[in-house]
Amino acid sequence: MKTPLFIVIATALTMGSAIVQAADTSAGKTKYADSCAQCHGPTGKGMASFPSLAGRDADYITSRLETYRAGEKVGSNSALMIPNAADLSDDDIANLAAYISENFQ
Amino acid sequence: MSQKPTMRSLSGVMATAMIAGLATTATANKDTPELSHTTVVSGLENPWDMAFLPDGTMFFTEKCRGLSVRLPNGDVNKLLGMEDTEDYATTADDLVCQGQAGMNGVTVDPDFEENRTVYVYSASSMSDERTNRVLRLKVNDDISNVSDRTDIVDDISYKPAPTDHPFGDAGAHNGGRIRFSPEDGFLYVTTGDTHNGEVPQSPTMLGGKVLRIDRDGKAAEGNNPPEGFDPRIFTYGHRNVQGITFHPETGQPIVTEHGPWHHDEINALVNGGNSGWDPRPNMAGRDDCPDNYCGYQPNQGEGMDPDEREAYMPVTDTETYPDAMKPAWQNNSLSQGIATAEFLTGEQWGGWDGRLVIGFLGIGFGGTPVGQRINLIDIAQDGLSVNDVSELPLPMGSARFRSIVQGPDGDLYTLVDEGDIYRITPE
Repeated sequence: MKTPLFIVIATALTMGSAIVQAADTSAGKTKYADSCAQCHGPTGKGMASFPSLAGRDADYITSRLETYRAGEKVGSNSALMIPNAADLSDDDIANLAAYISENFQ
Repeated sequence: MSQKPTMRSLSGVMATAMIAGLATTATANKDTPELSHTTVVSGLENPWDMAFLPDGTMFFTEKCRGLSVRLPNGDVNKLLGMEDTEDYATTADDLVCQGQAGMNGVTVDPDFEENRTVYVYSASSMSDERTNRVLRLKVNDDISNVSDRTDIVDDISYKPAPTDHPFGDAGAHNGGRIRFSPEDGFLYVTTGDTHNGEVPQSPTMLGGKVLRIDRDGKAAEGNNPPEGFDPRIFTYGHRNVQGITFHPETGQPIVTEHGPWHHDEINALVNGGNSGWDPRPNMAGRDDCPDNYCGYQPNQGEGMDPDEREAYMPVTDTETYPDAMKPAWQNNSLSQGIATAEFLTGEQWGGWDGRLVIGFLGIGFGGTPVGQRINLIDIAQDGLSVNDVSELPLPMGSARFRSIVQGPDGDLYTLVDEGDIYRITPE
């Protein structure tokens, strides 16, 4: 039996939506505490020469982490961020972006 | 709020120590006290240093805001604000912050009772090019304002522009701790190399040095740097000194010096001594380096064995400088943000009485452990080695330990980048 095209599209859209919504802020919180908080601070307000993350939206965080993961320099702390981001998975980045954007205003 | 260290936090400390591979010994010795903590001040913005009067009055700095004071009744008065602040009793628009620079160290005159004088170390835009300065200030009777500013040093090196290095922003490697020696009564000022290869061994530029001066900023009588050096220089050839304290028995100044991805150092200073840091390119077996500074080479952007780094760019280059002061300790080849030093004294500290207390900010690179902690170090009386290294249990948990000072009550106070000042009490 052939599946009607609109069902395929609807299913794909639903799955896509599910992927977007699947960002796990709880996992993001854990990852942040383990990998980010020691420089950016427990509430993301930044410390010393490490910048604040407050008010950054998920797209910005995702873009920056993907840039660092690709080994590209952006800003004076690239030497620290590039190795920190090197092993992040797409899910890690999505989870971090969700946690940071939702909690650090 | 007062909390005992929990098993979880203690186990965390132990786990951290094990991961870090540190030469730690058990801290649960029956001869050492249990610790509790209270939060003295919270919600600060990049606090940097603190200094006490005998009655517990505590002056403290915030790097981009200025100088404040906490009175014994808990009230906080904002005394001297920097550029773009509005809520301080006095504002000085030339006091600026950028990157690691801003208002850093603070100390109280040993004769405060008579002269009501405090000192701060701050970056300033008053000169044509920015410099770091040591400001002398008079505190009014009710400790609500300061006046009579005199810049007793106005020409300490400052990094003016970004460079191609880790932490490469302007204002980097800025030193900034100031302390009076109880032994000789002079003011010691620690500075940084400003990511400039020429600075540490320069006879005239004041970065990468420990200065020893009187209360007017003049060279201390007896300073013995090499001929042709600025007479304010007590020691030279440093990288970035952010901790200084004085041995409680010998009076010898002891500093902490940040390492470059490797080999943090504790050094006992000798008058006129060279600490052996010389990051110039095209010497000591090195080639060209980014922006004429080899401080993070040979591989400044990727992980590498710390001992291989040391072989290429030693923190203390004893081949080039055979008479250099030898470090007492090098943090097991790691660089983890060694920021502050103080001696614990008093019977209330039991087996820790006389230990050197060292605070770490914590930084990892290329797989090295971050290592946020406070170490207790039994330093040899001659300052040339350590007998034992252990770790202070942290009742408040780990943080970026920027300043540690023993208060007049005998308790240990620590100020953290996160914005808090804690009081740690032995019981």
